Amino acid sequence: MRYAEPETVEEGLALLAAHDDARCLAGGASLVAMMNAGRVAPGMLVSLHRIPELSDITETGDGLWLGAMCTHRGVAAEPRLRGAMAVVRSAAGQLAHPAIRNMATLGGSVCLADPHTELPAALVAASARAEVAGPGGRRLVPVESLLVDGFRTSLQRGELVTRVFIPRGTDGAVGHHLRFSRVSSDYPTVSLSLVLVMDGDTCRQARVVVGASGPVPLHVDAADQRLVGTRLEEADVAEAGRLLVRAATPLDDVRGSAEYRRMLIPRLLGRALSQAREHAHV
Amino acid sequence: MSDKVSLSLCLNGAEHALTVAPERTLLDVLREDVRATGTRRGCDEGNCGACTVLVDGVPVLSCLTLAVRMRGRAITTVEGVQTGAELHPVQRALVRHGAVQCGFCMSGIVLTAKALLERNPSPTAEEVRQALGSNVCRCSGYARVVEAIVSLGGRP
Repeated sequence: MRYAEPETVEEGLALLAAHDDARCLAGGASLVAMMNAGRVAPGMLVSLHRIPELSDITETGDGLWLGAMCTHRGVAAEPRLRGAMAVVRSAAGQLAHPAIRNMATLGGSVCLADPHTELPAALVAASARAEVAGPGGRRLVPVESLLVDGFRTSLQRGELVTRVFIPRGTDGAVGHHLRFSRVSSDYPTVSLSLVLVMDGDTCRQARVVVGASGPVPLHVDAADQRLVGTRLEEADVAEAGRLLVRAATPLDDVRGSAEYRRMLIPRLLGRALSQAREHAHV
Repeated sequence: MSDKVSLSLCLNGAEHALTVAPERTLLDVLREDVRATGTRRGCDEGNCGACTVLVDGVPVLSCLTLAVRMRGRAITTVEGVQTGAELHPVQRALVRHGAVQCGFCMSGIVLTAKALLERNPSPTAEEVRQALGSNVCRCSGYARVVEAIVSLGGRP
């Protein structure tokens, strides 16, 4: 195995272009585990930890840019992730367990595209966009369209994610991430990320995304629309939940059967909405 | 062809000159090259916390850390926590509370607790439980481990 530590994004891209079997190494929490298990054996490892811009956090008028090498620990402690953006902070703080949060990175989570972890769903709920650098320059891609399948992104060979933009969203918006898991350090059985805007008791905007219920974060426009304009009464939440369940394709696994996961979705939705409303009133 | 990378590993305050293949983990290098076997290999996939070490004071899993990335970083393992012949206060508290049975997880727990207490000298039991979220112990049920660590902060 070859190994390199580029100091700029351009050096990193040149290394990726020169080696067909190159892989980027971010925090290592998943890639090194897969290497230990003999599931991947990259010919070339391009470690991204010496590229300063990848750890930058920049605030703009309409949101926050988080560098791809920001750790989940750093994201979870970022006070500027308020309002709608708090869905990302909340998810980062609940991901896996403390030692993993000290190592694993935001960019790593995006590129791994594991539907059973927290960040993909939270980033889609936040309408986040990833900046992708490649041989042709840089482009912005909604995280929702970057995640094309379980463990698959639309990144092309030779590209890497440099940073992620989290939009500030509407004034008064609240972001919240709720996970249901057997124990807190386990993968969630089902997770639910949402951004909610209330006007008194009436829902003005809702963006609900379900994690661990299909190959990519599950976002159903009709479910969001079913909540908007309502007072989020039991029947409204139940109907939006039904729309989500109908579109969900959860797996049977050790954390729960597909049927059990389908039962969880509407219950978590109700719970997440009422928790988010409590935050909205603070 | 594999690269071999030469680096100086700063382990418990001492520099170790090593040449390692890039795919080797810090855990491998600690145990096999440096022969510092106090750091345990449990699951080798980041689930058990037995291999926890401190990198610049922060708990990380040495089984998921490549040794080549440790250039310029300060690594603390369980061999580095005592002062002379004196055990670290966390170790003494664990002994005093009878918290150790087989002991396999204890290197990781000692380092996690040390890092917690340096950041938060008087943690509550809940804060200790949260901090120990990465460390699996199959003997103790954790109660005495948590009591031992909480006792160091002087909280009831």
